Amino acid sequence: MADRSFEVARLPGFATIAITAFVILYLPIITLVAFSFNAGKSVAVWEGFSLHWYADAWANDDVKSATVRSLIIAVSASAIATTVATMAALGTTRRRQFKGQTFIYVAINQPLMVPEIVTAVALLIFFGIVKTWTGYQGLGYLIAAHAAFCTPFAYLPIRARLEGMDLSLETAAADLYATPWQAFRRVTLPLLAPGIMAGAMLAFVISLDDVVITEFVKSGGQDTLPTYMLGQMRRAISPEVNAISTGLLALTVILLTAFFLLTRKKD
Amino acid sequence: MKKIWTVAALLLATTGLASAEGQLQLYNWGNYTSPELLAKFEAETGIKVTVTDYDSNDVALAKVEAGGHGFDLVVPSASYVPIWVEKGLISELDLSKLPNHANIAPEWMNVDWDAGRKFTIPWQWGSVGMAVNTKVYGGDINTSAVFLDVPPELVGKINVVPEMSDIMSLATMYVGGEPCSEDPEVMKKVRDVLLAAKPNWLSMDYGATEKMSNNDWAASVNWNGSSMRIRLANPDVAFGYPREGYPLFMDSVALLADAQNVEEAYKFMDFIMLPENAGMISTFARYANGISGSEAYMPEDMKTAPEVVVPEEFAAAGRFSPACTGKGQEYQTAIWTELQK
Repeated sequence: MADRSFEVARLPGFATIAITAFVILYLPIITLVAFSFNAGKSVAVWEGFSLHWYADAWANDDVKSATVRSLIIAVSASAIATTVATMAALGTTRRRQFKGQTFIYVAINQPLMVPEIVTAVALLIFFGIVKTWTGYQGLGYLIAAHAAFCTPFAYLPIRARLEGMDLSLETAAADLYATPWQAFRRVTLPLLAPGIMAGAMLAFVISLDDVVITEFVKSGGQDTLPTYMLGQMRRAISPEVNAISTGLLALTVILLTAFFLLTRKKD
Repeated sequence: MKKIWTVAALLLATTGLASAEGQLQLYNWGNYTSPELLAKFEAETGIKVTVTDYDSNDVALAKVEAGGHGFDLVVPSASYVPIWVEKGLISELDLSKLPNHANIAPEWMNVDWDAGRKFTIPWQWGSVGMAVNTKVYGGDINTSAVFLDVPPELVGKINVVPEMSDIMSLATMYVGGEPCSEDPEVMKKVRDVLLAAKPNWLSMDYGATEKMSNNDWAASVNWNGSSMRIRLANPDVAFGYPREGYPLFMDSVALLADAQNVEEAYKFMDFIMLPENAGMISTFARYANGISGSEAYMPEDMKTAPEVVVPEEFAAAGRFSPACTGKGQEYQTAIWTELQK
């Protein structure tokens, strides 16, 4: 019986298609990483192995300040986004079905659907008015903007986790005279923690990688690592940009791996 | 918890001071501003310059137009300057605060987009021409015929950069017209010459700096600064200035109408019009700058570079393309679309 069951892996050409897909996905990135170790100035001609582009990037003050700025924004924005997303996830799952539930889901996930450039232009105009009105030019705008579009990314894993947890433990806690707050603090939150961590990491990565919205919202002296790299493109691309990209890539891969380990079903 | 908020408030406050004493906010193309230049300016005046990058004229225009940006100086390209002026986004300069204004080279003083340099001062400029590997083709390279009537040696080995306005200007001047021509007869000739030449091209792509350095391409329509870098890597490559006419480009510094640090901005503009400082700008980004006498402060390999110092006989053929409008724009887009098929 097992032999005759349907399995995609046994369709003709499966291995070929799978390998082709992986090559197409990763070949450009491998090229980028390889040339970050090029001794020469070119991103096309190999001239031997060297780490000096990493040293250059490390010694570059603009890169340093852009990195620090990116991290400040990503940490603050993902903290805000995760808090909001956790509350939203609790509010949409830990209760009876209600009218307009689908509408609320769509409203929370709206930043996933709307093209980024639309959000960017809207924020440019809106913050333009606020900046003129208040005179405040700080990082707050970028943090607010990032928190907004990171919220659905944090929301999805947290909600998925909550939907996988039934209410029996919370009900048991209530039966044992726990107040709603105690039940939440001692039962729901610890069980939910992996989901929250996963959401926070996803939000952090999304904030760290953002270009379009940042480019439109940033004020003077607020280049983040991605917008700094974009600015380097007008003249010849140097392997220093490859080196920075590789660093950013490594950080993203580490966080995403952690994300998968945390969300993996323990069974 | 309280502590966190205090730290956050402090952080936001310190990064929020756009118009503090001794500050200047420069909004410029990325990788275009010499860090040594800014360090020297700060050492001399005590004014700290913060640079913010943009990567297109349109993004810069959109951000400044939205307001509340906090920038003081911006560096738009020539064809965009009239738009900035028309929208009232940049102010007319008070020339009494710019004693070094007289250092602007005479040929850069009365430019089409800003007669008498009342709104902008030069930052850097360059040209579009023919980069050719002279080992492959030994004939005349100072003509657009290199890509419009491709010599047999270069057939299937020449690249054309996919920049509509540059290619259209070159082709229009080649057939004897004016850039942005609205004459259907002229534009018909432009279309015919481009479509006839296209089968002889290898590609329409960017990246000449790499692909000509390693001999992937034997020739390309290319920018002068990039062509100089190619020659330094591959001495067989020379840069030709089409005598029928070739496009020039220039980015110029302008003072924003809502600048917060106006006095500092004037100091900076005057500072970069001193030949020694203008030389630093060119040393970093490798384009010429438009300030008389700055050549003396450029590195040796630039002072004599034929890509940077335009030979006398070809100087007059260089032309700034205006931003085309109306019929001219329509013809160009139609031809370009057909060319891309």
